[in-house]
Amino acid sequence: MSAIKLSRRGFLKATGLIGGGLLIGYVATPDGNSPAVIPGDGAMAPNAFIQLTQDNQIIFYSPRDEMGQGISMGLATLVAEELDVPVDKIQVEFASVHDDYRHPEYWVQGTGGSSSMRVHYLPLRQVAADTRALLLTAAAMDLGVAAESLSTEDGYILSNGTGHRYSDFIATAQTLELPSETPLKAKADFKYIGKDMTRIDALAKSTGTAIFGMDIAVPDMYYAMVSRSPVAGGTVNNLDDSAARAMSGVTDIVRIDSGVAVVATSFWKAKKAVAALNIIWDQPDLANFSNGDIRADYQSALESDRGTTETEGSITEGLSKASMQVRRDYWTPYLAHTPMEPVNAVVKISDGKAELWAGTQSPGVARGLVARHSGLSVDNITVNSLFSGGGFGRRAQLSHIAEATQVAVATNKTIKLVWTRENDLQNGWFRQASIMQLHAGIDAEGKVTAWDATRVGGDLAPDTLAGVLPGELPRTPKLLNDLMLSATENLYDGWLIDSGGVEGLVSDYDFPNKQLRHISVNHGLPLAAWRSVGHSFTAFAKETLMDELAEMAGLNSFEFRRRNLQNNPRLLGVLEAVEQGLKQWDIPAGHHIGISTHGSFQSFVAQAAEVSIQGSKIRVHRVLCAIDCGAVINPDIVRAQIEGGIMYGLTAALYGDIEIENGAVKQSNFHDYKILRINEAPAVDVLIVETEQAPSGVGEPGLPPIAPAVANAVYQATGQRLYSMPLTLA
Amino acid sequence: MIEFILNGKVVQTDDEPDTPLLWVVRDTFKLTGSKFGCGIAKCGACTMHIDGSAQQTCVLPITAVAGKTVTTIEGLGTPDNLHPLQQAWVEQGVPQCGYCQSGQIMSAASLLTDNPNPNEAQLEAAMERNICRCGCYPRIKQAILSVAEQGQSGAVQLATPVAAKAPEGIQS
Ligand code: FES
Ligand code: FES
Repeated sequence: MSAIKLSRRGFLKATGLIGGGLLIGYVATPDGNSPAVIPGDGAMAPNAFIQLTQDNQIIFYSPRDEMGQGISMGLATLVAEELDVPVDKIQVEFASVHDDYRHPEYWVQGTGGSSSMRVHYLPLRQVAADTRALLLTAAAMDLGVAAESLSTEDGYILSNGTGHRYSDFIATAQTLELPSETPLKAKADFKYIGKDMTRIDALAKSTGTAIFGMDIAVPDMYYAMVSRSPVAGGTVNNLDDSAARAMSGVTDIVRIDSGVAVVATSFWKAKKAVAALNIIWDQPDLANFSNGDIRADYQSALESDRGTTETEGSITEGLSKASMQVRRDYWTPYLAHTPMEPVNAVVKISDGKAELWAGTQSPGVARGLVARHSGLSVDNITVNSLFSGGGFGRRAQLSHIAEATQVAVATNKTIKLVWTRENDLQNGWFRQASIMQLHAGIDAEGKVTAWDATRVGGDLAPDTLAGVLPGELPRTPKLLNDLMLSATENLYDGWLIDSGGVEGLVSDYDFPNKQLRHISVNHGLPLAAWRSVGHSFTAFAKETLMDELAEMAGLNSFEFRRRNLQNNPRLLGVLEAVEQGLKQWDIPAGHHIGISTHGSFQSFVAQAAEVSIQGSKIRVHRVLCAIDCGAVINPDIVRAQIEGGIMYGLTAALYGDIEIENGAVKQSNFHDYKILRINEAPAVDVLIVETEQAPSGVGEPGLPPIAPAVANAVYQATGQRLYSMPLTLA
Repeated sequence: MIEFILNGKVVQTDDEPDTPLLWVVRDTFKLTGSKFGCGIAKCGACTMHIDGSAQQTCVLPITAVAGKTVTTIEGLGTPDNLHPLQQAWVEQGVPQCGYCQSGQIMSAASLLTDNPNPNEAQLEAAMERNICRCGCYPRIKQAILSVAEQGQSGAVQLATPVAAKAPEGIQS
């Protein structure tokens, strides 16, 4: 890969990406009626995203959160392109909370769904182009020349061979109205978009100077840890905290909604004291269930006539045209997100104001939670967004922010609340478990004539809403929120199909007759979107069955898929890119190839995995991945996200299994919740199939195809078809 | 009172003796480059050098480093004066979320000090103690191998810049 070398000056600037307005004197007001950015002295902020300071520094306020996906770099690149300023000269700050930073498609100010580049690609370029046009008009007036005689280069306006700083024209620009609909640059004129460039956060993240929530220390801060019910939803029946109270450094022990919080003068003291609490819990219904029961409940639901069904064409008719048919059941377990940085938050409340420091996927909800639990209005709350040490969906659930606020209020102290890894695995949110059943028929030409799919499992949408509502509507009484939530649960039970449970299961291929049945079975384990959401398991069922059907049809895996992709040229495009790419591979003896293809988040991906079997162990040596994600802003970040998505998906394919025992999660840390390590990591080749389409998802689409590609390779190696994840050889 | 050398400076702490080094460095000495990921020596986010070799410090009681030299990511290199590994990390776009990377780089630096020219198996054996949940493994590998290569050609100095031996009189 290539990378530009940053100048030393660029390096130093880049380390400034620390968020929260810590470097530059600006005020981001939380009130939707006032501007998002109030410029410093002599500076201008023509919109919520850009500030130009008196000394020609450009600050970009990133409306989306940085969890490692590189979005702050990607969005800064859009701004740089249209402002005509090198990316490394832009100071990136994480935006505060303001209506202007709401996600253009979601209700909240949040980051997820691999959507950020797609939704900001044109609007952010537009504000930057308008800002540049404004400066050019001001310069023309100040210099007394025609605007057409001016041009820009690297942050300077050129007039008759002389360069003027953008900031020289702030005073005049302030008197003008911001133009709109300024023409955007043509692709041929791009200087930064589409080029490999070193990430602006790479330096800080390679020197230990990037600041995560976990690293925040403010004066007079105390550390809090919480003991929560081992079964989600349990409440304290009896608490004996005498031993903990007597321990060194412990200042407070308070009950909060989620359990019992211990406050101490250091993390270590809080950690020891929380272990000394003696709590008897009242357990909810979930305590009656273990993994076997949950699976059995899914199975009997599958065999019942329950469910919500959507049909296109007719399955009966499709099956009547089939020369062969097959029905298979698939099991995919609960999974944990385990971002590398466990969730945490610092909350300070004083003089009727509150301040929060945290890295989240949803700062707007975070602010609302502080408001709800402190009783303050959102106008009096400042959110400092920080780097997140991984998100993957976990940082869209913010109970830790409610907890930190409750403890701060109860103790009248500034609180840093930290979850341990054990908390993360045992008290958190999980990817849904599922049973999927697929019944398909094919005709003599190798065309799928019928595709009948059922998914049984928990619904994600009500839990997602439960996470959002209390923060988004901080003034709504809990009772009303609960009512809305139970109404939603009922909706998904028999009326609506929760797309997060089925997306991808009946998609991609031509399927002239298809049916989707969904049966909601909820046991009460909290569920959260997990990188690639429903696609993380539906692709496994769909793509392993497609492989099985290919064999039944007597066609190779590429040819069979091709025959059924006649109406999906972009997916066919990546499939054929992998087919071609594989021709360059030398496959060593004993190594086997499996392929898969799956579209998600409006992108199209195909993969080939090279696998060998060592004893009972599945070893993945190499992965070839082709992606069509439309226009590419930074190819190197696309490659990085694909590599990362494959590793994340491989952890799930080979190891991921959250097991429930009497309602509690059995796994507790990385010794029993195994994560892929470097000695098990395949080499990854990424082929970017660039098309003229608008940019689409990158952070998630690389994940879904890997498990089926590996399973299909395992079949080539062993003759065993695997119908459950994690993939385990008989 | 426990005394040790932290990034070249003699430091003292009266933190409780069972406090893991990680928390003393982060909370008492305010060096937050070393991270907490698991607390049970299973992820490597907390890796520092103790007398020059990589160790996971989330389970290492502070008493264990009395009189020893401790180097953290902040002592390995700074934004103005990068260690060759840090330079490679930046140029090759290794970090994603970045949370594991201090630990990765400390493990890699220790590996190259012990074995300036590791093969892939040796590299993996040394680095498998560090989890990267973002999956930066291919780039981590690549970056280490490229630095090893530069080391072989004499283009960079690989010996970890530590922090001298304990000054006279320090208690062990
Ligand atoms: S925090 Fe020390 S090894 Fe994970
Ligand atoms: S970069 Fe995120 S865990 Fe390694």
